[in-house]
Amino acid sequence: MDLRLLIFSPIIISILFLLPIFSGKHILVRRIAKLFAGLHFIYSLFFIIFYNVDAISNFDTEITFFGEKWLGSLGVSLIFGLDGLSLLLVLLTSFLVLISCIASKGSIKSKHSLYYALIFILETSVLGTFCAKDIFVFFLFWELELIPMYFLISLWGHDFAKKSAMKFLLYTFIGSLFMLCGFLMLYNFNYISTSELSAAIDNLNFDYESAPIYLQVVASILILLGFAVKLPIIPLHNWLPAAHVDAPTPVSMLLAGILLKMGAYGIIRFNMQLLPDAFIIIVPYLVFFAFINIVFAAFVAFVQTDIKRIVAYSSISSMGLVLLGLCSLNAVGITGAVLLMLAHGIISSGLFFSVGVIYNRTGTRNINQLGGLVLVMPRLALFTFILCLASMGVPLLISFPAEFMIFFGAFISAVYSNYYIQVVALVSIIVLVLSLIYLLRLLHKTFYGELSERWLKVGDVVTHEFIILSVISSVTVIFGIVPMSVIIYIIPAIRNITDAFGG
Amino acid sequence: MSLILDISNSMLAEAVLLISFLILSVFSMFYNVRYHKLSKWIAVSGIAFALVSLKFLRLEPVYYAFNESIISDTFTVFVKALILFSSLIIILLSKKNVTKRNHKTFQFYTLLIAGVMSSLLVVSSNDFVTLTVSLEMLSFSTYFLIAYKKGYLSKEASFKYIISNAFSTAIYLFGVSYLYGISGKLNFNAINDYFMQNEPTLIYTFAVVFIAIGLLFKLAILPFANWILDVYEGSATSVSAFIATIPKIAVIAVLARLFVFILGNSFELPVILVILSVMTAIWANILAIRQKKILRILACSSSANAAYMLFVLSLVSVYNLSTVLFYLITYVFMNLGAFAAIIVLENSNYGLKLNGLKGLAYTNPLFALSFAICIFGLAGFPITSGFIAKFYLFSAIIRSGAVFIPFLIILAMTIVVAAYYYTNIVAKMFEKTDSQDNQIIYNSTTSATVILYACSLITLVVGIMPFALLELCKFIAYNL
Repeated sequence: MDLRLLIFSPIIISILFLLPIFSGKHILVRRIAKLFAGLHFIYSLFFIIFYNVDAISNFDTEITFFGEKWLGSLGVSLIFGLDGLSLLLVLLTSFLVLISCIASKGSIKSKHSLYYALIFILETSVLGTFCAKDIFVFFLFWELELIPMYFLISLWGHDFAKKSAMKFLLYTFIGSLFMLCGFLMLYNFNYISTSELSAAIDNLNFDYESAPIYLQVVASILILLGFAVKLPIIPLHNWLPAAHVDAPTPVSMLLAGILLKMGAYGIIRFNMQLLPDAFIIIVPYLVFFAFINIVFAAFVAFVQTDIKRIVAYSSISSMGLVLLGLCSLNAVGITGAVLLMLAHGIISSGLFFSVGVIYNRTGTRNINQLGGLVLVMPRLALFTFILCLASMGVPLLISFPAEFMIFFGAFISAVYSNYYIQVVALVSIIVLVLSLIYLLRLLHKTFYGELSERWLKVGDVVTHEFIILSVISSVTVIFGIVPMSVIIYIIPAIRNITDAFGG
Repeated sequence: MSLILDISNSMLAEAVLLISFLILSVFSMFYNVRYHKLSKWIAVSGIAFALVSLKFLRLEPVYYAFNESIISDTFTVFVKALILFSSLIIILLSKKNVTKRNHKTFQFYTLLIAGVMSSLLVVSSNDFVTLTVSLEMLSFSTYFLIAYKKGYLSKEASFKYIISNAFSTAIYLFGVSYLYGISGKLNFNAINDYFMQNEPTLIYTFAVVFIAIGLLFKLAILPFANWILDVYEGSATSVSAFIATIPKIAVIAVLARLFVFILGNSFELPVILVILSVMTAIWANILAIRQKKILRILACSSSANAAYMLFVLSLVSVYNLSTVLFYLITYVFMNLGAFAAIIVLENSNYGLKLNGLKGLAYTNPLFALSFAICIFGLAGFPITSGFIAKFYLFSAIIRSGAVFIPFLIILAMTIVVAAYYYTNIVAKMFEKTDSQDNQIIYNSTTSATVILYACSLITLVVGIMPFALLELCKFIAYNL
């Protein structure tokens, strides 16, 4: 099992797509793209078969150029490896890229070869981010993801796509430059204490002499800012609704499904794993921000009239829950958070897809103009209903165990004084129950009520849409019934984190 | 005898350039329009011979010539090679600018060769007299190069350049005279020895601050930055490429030497320079947002990039110097690539306005891709050399101490602003356009197109495999 092949094969395919022989042959390009994404997904499934749960890191590999390390004189080399967390996210990425390649059929109408090339560059960069075992390799791939995403939004989006894409680019770029400052601080701590240039995540160590706690806190906050933009944490969330609304459907699916996970992944990997002492200091403030995320986004979603915006704000709310789970600092909470990341990746991309189908058929996303669509689109209504239920956290669907574990973890958390996180969790549960209304409102206003005459001729889902929706819905059901099959990969991956926090 | 020895050991490249300069200036009296190709080949062969002659210079140990007023070591040879290589590219780029005014072809190349020669002298100078004279020579050839283009704008730009350069030179000479007053020496080594033995005084601080600030003019750092927009817009594009690279390389090299030998004893100087460079970065990047012409954007970007380099350069250490060198090399190639693209555009129907770029990605995909690689490299996006350079530069700032983290954060913000306007250029190329008249680019600027492809390829290759260049920069910095 070669991790290099998994990570770099998409970018090779994308270079192939940029050759002039593919210009104009859009059916051929789409077929090759789907075929390749399918093969890539199957290949990534092999990794789960050969995965050794007990090992700290699997499939470790290093790329050298003629025997030279990549940035050998700086101690940076292209090393990759998988642990449980990365493995699951890699699978999710590969799966969602396949799904969005299939979903591109209806919504992408021009410049096909460029589109698929960008999608695969995006896939390489996301996979590289999840597999990187070196801080700066992580950063390289993190930055690489910006350019394809910018073009995917701005070239194939609608309405204010250029503005939204630029917003996305600038928000993420500023966050990532803060992150770079933080990373360089870590690198320098390591250099001072061991006098060895190294940026490998596993080798990084520093003591309090070389890295006083206040500097660690500064580094932790700088790194966190980068992830907070991506997650997003609320004062920095402004790019997300805009980018989601104006991006084409498959791109919104990727954005919600994978890119938001990179933020949470980074917090686990860097803030919690590398800087646990600093994280303990800033975590009470994070709980507060998580609370704001959950509550504020839910209430904002409640007043929106654009369906895509509602789903986007519900994503922000879910990410607040992920953050709350991470802040509980014990195994149950963190496992729940990781599980919710995966669950949200699947559910939100499904929801964005059904919204995209509605928009594709009716040409509007305003819920006040829609209504009664269940009469003409019964199958879509059924799938959307399942996905909305999954998003609410109904038992037997995938996000129920996740949310349950997050709240359970928060309630048993022993890190905070005065029942701080317990109170926050309790209030969040109450608000969440109230905020379910926005999903019900979405369902009610689009699918029920009176059918306008305009939508009488609207058709139901066609084959490829049916396949996507049924696959996504069945995944939510299957993993809702057997969440343990995922959790066994998460527990060993976060063991060293929970050891550090003594929970 | 010692004269010949000195020249052959340390100034061979300058001598070769001097010969081609003389040939060109003699020919310019006799030959007319028809021979403009000849002038180009004389200039190119002069530069090429100079490049070859660098191989015969004495490197180890450091060679001092002409009573220690000229120095030749690994660092100078490396910087000279960079200058000569980029001037070769600039000569190849300037074909179109020259043929538009072909009765003055010989003069253009004469001035260009003079500029290159004096910038080589700036690099190898080891006392203040040589430095001052060669800097003035560089400035003089630049005045006329700027004014070379037809029209009012170029004359205005040249005049602005003259006035601000005169002012900055006055400040620089003021500092030098103070230093001479304290130590009684003009040679760098002698002054260094003097301040090893004697405690620096307040006047010393004043002197070094004046010297450093006076030298900042060519880098377009803030007190003397306002010329850059008009000069870039007013002068011919290949002259802008010249101003953007060659004086900058020379001044950065000489600043590196001065920081090590003379200016290093002052505590206040790095603080002042750091503040000035941060201010310049903010000023230039914010100014660039509203610009509608590509050349003006590049002017702002060159000022900002010089500010990043100066920031790191003023915090003297071997590691920092190697990062600056790496940044300088990658920046030169990206910048020349962008200028090559601009020259191609200038000679087609696309023009130099931002809005003129519309639809370029669909009509000329390969050209647009290479241009985009250069621009993304300037913005510092990954898999270009600009990413590695920015990352390396930042690591130097962090290494210099936790005090500089706030400054680093401000610089990071300015880089985000820069990312906005760079991305805007690329985004414009992907916009749909209605007009049908500007479709395919002319083939008459083959050399510029080839240079663009080569520069973007270098940017990509260094971005993916930077280790060889990194090692080289470390070696060179260690040898200063």
